[in-house]
Amino acid sequence: MAEPILEVKDVAKYFGGVRALDGVTLSVQKGGLIGLIGPNGSGKTTLFNVITGFYVPTRGEVWFEGERIDGLNPNEVYLKGIVRTFQIPRLFPSLTVLENVLLTPPNQIGEKPLYAVLRSRWEKQEKELAKKAVKLLRRFGLGRYIHANVSELSAAHIKLLETIRGLMTNAKLYLLDEPAAGVAYDMAKEMFSFVKRLRDEEGLTFFIIEHRLEVLMEFVDYVYVLHNGKLLAEGKPDEVVQNKAVIEAYLGG
Amino acid sequence: MEFLINFIISWLPIFAIYGILSISLNLEIGYTGMANFGKVAFYAIGAYLSAALTMSVMLSLVGKSVPLYSIEAVQALSTPGTGAIYTHPAAYVGLFVLSLVLAFIVAGVVGYFITYPTLRVGPAFLGITVLAFGEMFRVFMRNYEPLGSTKGLFGLNNPFIWIGNPQLSQGLFALVSLALLLAIYIYAERFVNSPLGRTLRAIKDDEVAALCLGKHVPRVKATVFFIASGMAGVAGVLWTFYQGSVQPDTFVPILTFYVWAMVILGGMGNNLGALLGAAVFTLVDRVLTFAAGMMGPSLIIPPNYLRWMIVGIVIVLVLLFRPEGIRPAKPIKTPAWEAVKEVSEGG
Ligand SMILES: Nc1ncnc2c1ncn2[C@@H]1O[C@H](COP(=O)(O)OP(=O)(O)OP(=O)(O)O)[C@@H](O)[C@H]1O
Ligand SMILES: [Mg+2]
Repeated sequence: MAEPILEVKDVAKYFGGVRALDGVTLSVQKGGLIGLIGPNGSGKTTLFNVITGFYVPTRGEVWFEGERIDGLNPNEVYLKGIVRTFQIPRLFPSLTVLENVLLTPPNQIGEKPLYAVLRSRWEKQEKELAKKAVKLLRRFGLGRYIHANVSELSAAHIKLLETIRGLMTNAKLYLLDEPAAGVAYDMAKEMFSFVKRLRDEEGLTFFIIEHRLEVLMEFVDYVYVLHNGKLLAEGKPDEVVQNKAVIEAYLGG
Repeated sequence: MEFLINFIISWLPIFAIYGILSISLNLEIGYTGMANFGKVAFYAIGAYLSAALTMSVMLSLVGKSVPLYSIEAVQALSTPGTGAIYTHPAAYVGLFVLSLVLAFIVAGVVGYFITYPTLRVGPAFLGITVLAFGEMFRVFMRNYEPLGSTKGLFGLNNPFIWIGNPQLSQGLFALVSLALLLAIYIYAERFVNSPLGRTLRAIKDDEVAALCLGKHVPRVKATVFFIASGMAGVAGVLWTFYQGSVQPDTFVPILTFYVWAMVILGGMGNNLGALLGAAVFTLVDRVLTFAAGMMGPSLIIPPNYLRWMIVGIVIVLVLLFRPEGIRPAKPIKTPAWEAVKEVSEGG
């Protein structure tokens, strides 16, 4: 259990004078369900952006499964097995729910320019992926929406879809940016139950940013707290919520 | 009847040329979201490449070593009956076909290498870079003497001119153009109705999100640019052989925007729409050209103005009543649907 899948070593990210991240070191264990909290503007999303190759860190290193990944492009990071969701969900509105899911498996035969026009080359793979996608959507209660446009989905379903479409691939680490934001309490709890189930059943690892501590703390096994781009505290959920510095940061922020 | 046939024969190649250009622009802007303001550049490359290649090879076949732009070259090539394009039909047709292939490759490769670096910088750079490139190409050609500078190159004709019967040779060319258009249309339809087409739509919607799902966005875009530029090159070859000549000032930036108007009129993200847009535009154009020819000076408004007035009115009307164009964007279709049905029926 002690084996880290993700290691962030002394990472800093400056935007001009803004020190969004200022020397953060943390690690995520394989199979963990880890929380990342902190007041607004504390650098949480920036950390995800550095991990996923969106930003090159000003300083420091990011390691995934024993391989250094800072400096890679976002598409390369994805291919290593890291899937992220966005604080503001980014689904593809001109694709159906099914197509949004079908998009995710990397290196599909029918995506190669020479093969795209030769349907017989990729038809079999496409159908297999479609079947897998339908099963996945049904498993998470989205079976009714297979052919729906994503604009027909509720906020909670959109967040859910953004999370589970990564399951089409062999992704190992999921970075979720506020999955419960804007989602009703019951639905948020349900979402986290899904996440827990995935962790337990599939052995996936989750690293989750969440402002709604009442939901988050019930599910995660470890929490990191960021404040002004620095790690303020870390520990088990019940330790962290009682940490004086954390309470102050939240009240002060 | 005779009149109608002549009309159609003279319209079809123009329709094919603009149909190909519209489909190629639609692949870029309608499906992938890349604004190409320099389509004309790749069209011009195809036109010049085919003229230069065909003329120089034909001239060397008849043992003439004269500059391509010289009057001797025109005579040696196209004097009816005795010119090279009449006496060497197989070579002439062969060069037409070779031009099509080479124009696709050369225009495509140029498109790929011009766009690949700009794609990483930002979307606005692409359109402007290509626009500038097209103008540079035209200005260069205006001043490049070996290819005729401002006057351009003359001396070619319909690839089947040696048949003798003008209606037959023109009709054959019209059919070949139409066949090419059809082939490109079918290719484009298959191209977009595939997992790759799905990726293109995703890139158009949100390229950052597509990048985060492992799609190599710059490479995919450059590939689409390669194919679409190659298609424009093919259209350029058709133009050369339709017109029998090339002039630099045919390839002005406004031509790119005519193609844009066709795509907007027909419907972005719909290949059939792009074809319809091209058909409407070129038909209006041809009808006016024919009508102007018959009415002559009695026409109060010069036909050139009338042409664009009518086109303008048609666009306004279509966009008023069908804001998404004649044919709105079509959802992509892959066999995934069938698989879903199988699953549903099975369980
Ligand atoms: N691209 C950028 N350019 C300049 N400043 C940025 C950029 N991205 C983030 N910042 C700044 O970095 C700091 C951290 O932002 P970040 O989005 O990481 O915070 P966060 O913890 O995710 O906040 P929230 O809880 O509101 O989502 C903020 O001060 C923000 O304004
Ligand atoms: Mg954030």
